[in-house]
Formats: sequence, structure tokens, C-alpha cells
Amino acid sequence: MYTSLTNRRSFIKKMAALSAMTAAASMFPGILFADEQEKGLPKGNISWKKAPCRFCGVGCGVLVGTENGKAVAVKGDPKSPVNKGLCCVKGYHSIMALYGKDRLTKPLVKKNGQYVETSMKEALDLIASKMKETIKDHGKDAVSIYGSGQWTIPDGYAASKLFKGCIGTNNVEANARLCMATAVTGFLTSFGLDEPMGCYEDIDYADVFFLWGNNMAEMHPVLFSRLLDQRLKRGVKIIDFATRTTRTSMAADRSILFEPQTDLAVANAICYEIIQNGWVNTSFVEKHCNFSKGLTNMGYGLEDNYSFKDKPEKIDFKAYKKFLEAYTPEKVEKISGVSAKDIKYMARLYGDPNKKVMTLWCMGLNQHSRGTWANNLVYNIHLLTGKISTPGNSPFSLTGQPSACGTVREVGTLTHKLPHGVVTNKKHREFAAKIWDVPVENISSKPTYHTVEMFRALDRGDIRFMWIQVTNPMVTMPKLKRYRDGAKKEGRFIVVSDIYPTPTTDIADVILPSAMWIEREGMYGNSERRTQYFEQMVEPPGEAMSDTWQIIEVAKRLGFEKQFYYQPETHIEEIYTEYRRHHDNKKHNMAPLEVLKSQPGAMWPYVDGKSTKWRFNATYDPACSNGENFHFYGKPDGKAVIWQRPYEPAAEEPDKEYPYWLCTGRVVEHWHTGSMTRRIPVLHKAMPNGYVELHPNDAKRLQIKTGDSVKLTTRRGEITLPAAINQRGVPAPMQVFVPFFDEHMLINDITLDSFCPISKEPDYKKCAVKVEKA
Amino acid sequence: MKKRLGIISLFIILFIAFIFIWNYSYKTGLKKAYIPIQKERQNIVIPSENGVFLRSEFALDYMNMPVDENHQRSIKTYYDNRAYSGAPPSIPHLVKEEMSMGGNTCLQCHQNGGFVSKFEAYAPVTPHPEMINCRQCHVAQMTETIFKETNFLKVTAPLVGINNALPGSPPVIPHQLQMRENCLSCHAGPAAPKEIRVTHPERINCRQCHVPSDQIVSDIEAFTRVNTNENE
Repeated sequence: MYTSLTNRRSFIKKMAALSAMTAAASMFPGILFADEQEKGLPKGNISWKKAPCRFCGVGCGVLVGTENGKAVAVKGDPKSPVNKGLCCVKGYHSIMALYGKDRLTKPLVKKNGQYVETSMKEALDLIASKMKETIKDHGKDAVSIYGSGQWTIPDGYAASKLFKGCIGTNNVEANARLCMATAVTGFLTSFGLDEPMGCYEDIDYADVFFLWGNNMAEMHPVLFSRLLDQRLKRGVKIIDFATRTTRTSMAADRSILFEPQTDLAVANAICYEIIQNGWVNTSFVEKHCNFSKGLTNMGYGLEDNYSFKDKPEKIDFKAYKKFLEAYTPEKVEKISGVSAKDIKYMARLYGDPNKKVMTLWCMGLNQHSRGTWANNLVYNIHLLTGKISTPGNSPFSLTGQPSACGTVREVGTLTHKLPHGVVTNKKHREFAAKIWDVPVENISSKPTYHTVEMFRALDRGDIRFMWIQVTNPMVTMPKLKRYRDGAKKEGRFIVVSDIYPTPTTDIADVILPSAMWIEREGMYGNSERRTQYFEQMVEPPGEAMSDTWQIIEVAKRLGFEKQFYYQPETHIEEIYTEYRRHHDNKKHNMAPLEVLKSQPGAMWPYVDGKSTKWRFNATYDPACSNGENFHFYGKPDGKAVIWQRPYEPAAEEPDKEYPYWLCTGRVVEHWHTGSMTRRIPVLHKAMPNGYVELHPNDAKRLQIKTGDSVKLTTRRGEITLPAAINQRGVPAPMQVFVPFFDEHMLINDITLDSFCPISKEPDYKKCAVKVEKA
Repeated sequence: MKKRLGIISLFIILFIAFIFIWNYSYKTGLKKAYIPIQKERQNIVIPSENGVFLRSEFALDYMNMPVDENHQRSIKTYYDNRAYSGAPPSIPHLVKEEMSMGGNTCLQCHQNGGFVSKFEAYAPVTPHPEMINCRQCHVAQMTETIFKETNFLKVTAPLVGINNALPGSPPVIPHQLQMRENCLSCHAGPAAPKEIRVTHPERINCRQCHVPSDQIVSDIEAFTRVNTNENE
């Protein structure tokens, strides 16, 4: 039914397009959208100021137009090297998220089941006294903060300093645990240092793009448009390797579908083919790679207090080769449903020494019950062929939130992390304590709870106080019902800082109104290590206050005035300058604030006034010191690791009673739980409610047509949604897909809270479900 | 004696069972044949992704093509050729092979377009070339006269230039997309009406910025929350 567009494309047309592109490229360098946009704009009194976009992790540069103290228009920043003047529909309408009618403007305190308006001072006093009381009655580890990849850098830094440095508990987590934790453990296990080695500029040099479980046309549309642009100009190839047919499949040159979870086997089969055909870059592998294996049969974290620690063990190339014999394309065809021919085709593209390859992925690989392995396996392919850390050769992990990298991963707002290093390392604790001006004994050496376990602890009563900022866990937690019931139990005190009422504010004891995005000052860090600054452009409504200042106020009330010495006018600058001291080295230096103010961001490591575009490559990265072309300095011996990781099934696979796979995800119009985008009329009208996608054959057999109510049942519960057949996406037979943005159709009530044992990130993409016509 | 008691109790049980069953069937018989009518859920139309990128291989050509000022179509002639906005356009010229159902004959000109000197015009491009029974929907206009006057009211078609939410923001799509998923066929190339010709055809992933607004089918109301916890 679906035909790929390249089937229709003839060779001659390609040649004609190629000559046209040469002309076009010389006439229009970059993207010419900005001029077109500016032409029609009212010149009036609108003043334009730059900011990074508030939504996804791409980090587009936008120009926000303000008039009479209100934000009135948005355009892409033509100077931004990220998006070169283009945005997506969310970005263009982003400022409308400031002006929803039900915006929270006053603090609300729950008294006898009713929310009562109060003053900011009283609310903050109450929070501080509740925290003191909880610490006194139940210990330090009974208070916690749950933040977000939408925290600005100062928000996360203040939270980490207060909880880890001053109070002395490692109960600091963020929703990035639900989306990027696996990418982190993938990087750490393979390279010893987090975040991509390459950058978006790789797109301009690569010849082949693998989109691995990644519907980029909808989720990272602006970057995807750069891929499409390169295809028009240079005829690059786009391969969509996924479990579902999407808009990305429509645009791709080839769409290859695999059975959920079996990409582990396919990746190994690709490595098998690469070795079998002699496509290994032997000198690169010998000089720069080690081989290791870890524990297998790790379990799925379904039980409370589950813990796992990998035991890496060095192996040699021969042993690795022997291991791969179980993954010949013919054998893997049977597991994965991907034909041996297609596997060989993909291996050939990766293996071709004359082709530069970029692999892009996001939640498909990360929200995966063996996600760390899956990340490792993609790096294996790039390491074996030596296609890494050079322009155009780039395994690239995309992020979903504007500062998942900048705040959660770099500031380290996860239970085991410090801004520089980890809590388990004595030297790292001493280093952080010195900058934070706290006694080193304050910082606990024991990581406490990762996100899922933190909510389990709240349910059990081990945690009594939780402060939730800039996130909506009562929509996003897997197996949501348990955690919602847990949060509502007696003796729990929940503070929620947000801009609109959400299902999460519904469980709060205190609701604080926050100032969002350009109503305050801050920085975000995007997927390509780019830190971007934005100034305050409009006044926040009512008593709304930035999340940073909320934390500072509470910290002062807890008696930490010395550590929280920041002044109202200059606190963002003071915090950023202090934060930079944690990364004062060639491997991670952050650009000074005046640089961030003067240009559309800078990429760390920022050394000698220059952003580093390709890490680990001696030509571009001043931190390389081994005298070779490449230096993977994250590992003590300077070598990256090729991991032996097998295929293991998912935690819950379809069976007789629950015969379908359930996958969840997003749509282009809505940002995560839709608490902002659903209040933007343009976006809400384009996508007003959730739905369940079925394969047309399944729908026919079940006599379901578009719009019919469909009941989905898992072992966790049931939910009824309207069916969508042949609409936005088409799942494979015996699979269904549901977007999670609709708070009135909470799909996470029935998802499974299994997670990757290494990263502790839940697998939202796979569980078994029964499908019936309701 | 015991035997008799047994038989009597058996009959008593049978009698009670009879009463019970008769009663049940009588009561069921009294019920009216009634199936409650459920209010049908209003379907939202999420357009299919099929064919979205269909003509993207010509995007660079569209971008580089000089504008032929003398032979441009206008939005007025575009809508004049339709009974109402969204109706299939009629065929404003004689059809070459009256016996054909359309397919090859129509697609010769309407698959990729091009200048037709006979009509002094560029052939419009169809957004759905896979549907080849063209003349089931598109019919010729054989006469200028009408049989009887009609009271049909032709509503105003969506206007151009008023569909953006903010100054300079990308306009929403003011029309339905069913069978018109491929934007470039009408919004790019020499046959595109000049008012709706896109300035940036090379950006091919159109719906990344331009999203449908469903007002035509039903007015979608603003998002309002329902607090699911209130009753607990």
C-alpha cells in the first residue's frame, strides 16, 4: 500500500536534480527561509531577542518578538547553526504556551481537601518547615526532589547543591531518567564519557543515515529537514529501521521493519557481516578498541529494591568473533523478521569504506529493556568500521528535552552523579564540596533511588517529602496507577512547581506557580553539547517565580544562606560562573556567559575560545594527548570498548491471553504530556485527543474501523480509546501504538515498569496487550 | 413410605422449578426490545501520511523554476472550477478519448504537468495519481446552461493570508487533506495558483510547520482539563 518515493525516482532524474542542486547550492547557501519570513513581518515596535526553543532537545535558535511586554511572534534564528532559520510547528507557536487562561499565578495550599490561595512567602515557609520536620522524623533520605530535562542549568544546579551538598541526601532525580539514562550508560560503558562525540554538522558530510527506531520526521523535525535538504542537494540515503511505519518511513529511501526487541540480534548480525566480509578497520580497532563482555540474564527490575551491577570482563577479538557466530543473518532473520538480504544490505552500507555513516536514535533504543546493550551494539558497528569521531561518521544519540544534556547529564541531577564525577568517588566528593562550600562529609557516598524506585519508595513510605518541578510524572510514570495511589497515601507531602494544573498538581499538597522560559533568565544544553542562554523578555504572571529562585528561597529558610548567597538580580550569572568551576578542564570546559550571550550558544569542551565539534579526534579536540589520531580519553587506557552483548527477550512478550505488542510514543504537534501544547489552539485543533493505531488487517479481523472505541487490556489494567487506522502511523501486524500526550486517556496506567538493569530507564515501547472492540 | 415421600418431593422440586422458569420467561417477555443508542463519538480526522513526500524529487526544480507571469493561475479560477471548496474540479476542456476511464489519458498531462500551448496554460498536477478512475469524480462541462435554477449556496472558500496564529507564524492548513496529502502538487510548480504557491518548496516536510485545522468538519473546542481525582 505504501510506496517509497525513491522507487519512482529514475536515475536520470537524480542526475538532473544533482545538476540543479549545484546551481541551487551556489545560489542559496544554507536555508533561505529566514528572508521569506522576515518579508511579511510587521516592522512596527516588535523587538526581537534570541533564545533556544523551549521544546525538544534539538535546541533550535528562535527569535522571540515582544511588544508592550507581551510575546507576540516567533521566527527561526537565521544565525543559529542548529536550525538555520527554520522551526517546527511547536516552535513557531511556542510563545502561546505562556498565555493559557488557566495559568497558575498564585501558590495553592491544600487545606481539608480544598486548594486555598496563599502568598508565596507563606507557601515557601510551609515547604521549608515540612522539609525540616520530615528530616527530623524520618531522616535525610526521606526528602527528595524530582526534576526535569526542562530544568534550566541554574535550576538543576541549585537543586543538586541544596540536596546533595547542603541537606546531604542523594535523593535527586529527574525525568531524564525516563528518556536519556540509557544513552548515558551507553556512552559511559563504551567510551567512559557522556554525550555524543560528533555534532549536527555531521549531517552535512554523511552519505548514509540510519534512523534506528526513530521517527525523526515527527520528533526531531528540524534536524530531519536538514537530512532531507542533504538528500536534495547530495543524494544521500536515508534508511528507516523501525517497528512501525511512520512519516519517516514515507520520506526514507528504505524502510525496514523488525520485531520489537530484536534489534539487538540485528545489530550483532551486522557486526558478523562486517567481520565476515573483511570490512573491519583493523588498524583503528587494534589501536583504539578493547573487547569486553558483561553479565547476562540480568532480569527486568520489576520487583522493589531490585539492584544490578555489571561485571565487565575483558575478552579478545577471537572470542568476540566466536560469540557472533550465533548471529548469522540467516539465524537472525528467524528472530527478527528482517530478511537476511536486508541485514546484509545494511551491513554493506555500514561496511563500505567510501561511505560516511551517521546513525541517529532516540527513544526506540533508550526506552528498551536492554537499552544500554542496544546503545553499545550501535557503537560496536561504528567502532569496528572506524566510522566515528570524524566529520560525517557519527553515532548520534538524540535527546527529547531542551536541557536533558545541559542540566540532567552535565549538572548531574541523578542520584549517583555530581556536576563533575560520581558520589561514590571520594575525590569527586571533595572537589564538589570545595566549590559548594560544604563539609565533604555532607555529601553521601551512597546513591539512593533512581526514578522508578523513588516513586516506589514514596509508595512504601521510605520517602515522605517530594518536590516535583517542571515535569508531569502522573502522566509519564509507567504502571502509573501504583505510583498515583502511592503518592496520595497519608503522610506524604508533595510540592509541585508548574505553570498549569496537571494530573501531577492534582496530587500536590502545595502548588507553586513557576515562571517559564522567557519569563526568567536561564540556559539550556542541547543534544550536540551546545549550551544556549536566554534572557528574561516578559514578566511572569501573578506571583509566578522561577524554579531556581524557589529553591534558593527554600534553601535560605533551611539555614543555608552561606551557600545560597546569590542576589536576586545576578543569581543566574553567579550560579553559572560557580557551576563552570566544576568543569574547569580541557575535557569539559564550558563557555563563559558573555560568549553565550553574544552568539547562538557554544559547544563544550570550549577550549581557547573555540567550541569542540568532534571529540576524541586529535585534529579537533585539544584534550587528546596520546599522540595518535584518536584518543578515547574517557577510559583509563584511552581505548573505547566493543561490547559482547547478546539478544535477550523483553520483560513481557505477547502470549495467548495478551497477544499484541503495545508501543507508546509521541506526535509532532504535542510536546510530551501536552500540558503546554494542548493549550495552544493551533496544535490542539490539529491533534485534539489520543488514539490507538492498529494494523489494517488486525482492524479488519476485529471489525474495528477508525473512530470505533477499542479496549486495551494489560495485566495492569484497561483503557478505552478511539481507533486510528491508516492515519498518522501504521503499526506492524499484531502491534498497536498509542501516543501518551492525552491526560484524559492515560495509556501509562497500563504500561509496564520494567527497566534496563544498567540504566534503570523504563521500557515504554514493549508490553503485552489484549485488543478488543469496546 | 420412603419411596412415596421421595416421589412427592421430586414433584415439588419440579413444580418449583416450573414456576421459577415460567416466571423468568414471562418477565423477560415483558421487556421491550430496546438497544440503547450511544452518542457517536466525534471522529477527528488525522490525515494519512501516504503520499506526503510523493513529489519531493521535483522540489529543487520548483524552487529554481522562473515564474511565468503571463500564464499563472489565480485562486479565483481555481475555485470557479469547483462546485464548492473541496469539491472535485470539473474538466474545463474536451477529453481526448471519450471511451477511456481516465487513467493514462488524463495522467499524460496531469501526473507531472507542463505547458499546453493549445490551452495557453499549465496543466494542474493531481495530488492522487494512484486513483485512475478519474472521471468517476471529475466530469466535463459540456454546456453553459442549467436545467433548473438551484438554491445551493456556495460558501466562501478559505481565504489566503489569514490563517496564521501569530504574525509571521506558518499558516495552518485551512482545508481537508483527504486525497490531498501531497502538498506540492497544488502548492508548487507553474500550475499552482499564484496566491497559494509556496515560497520554499524545497522544505518538503510541509506538515512539520503547517498543521491541519479541522474547523471545516467540526469546530474543535479549546482544551479543558477534567480533574480525575476530584471525586475520590
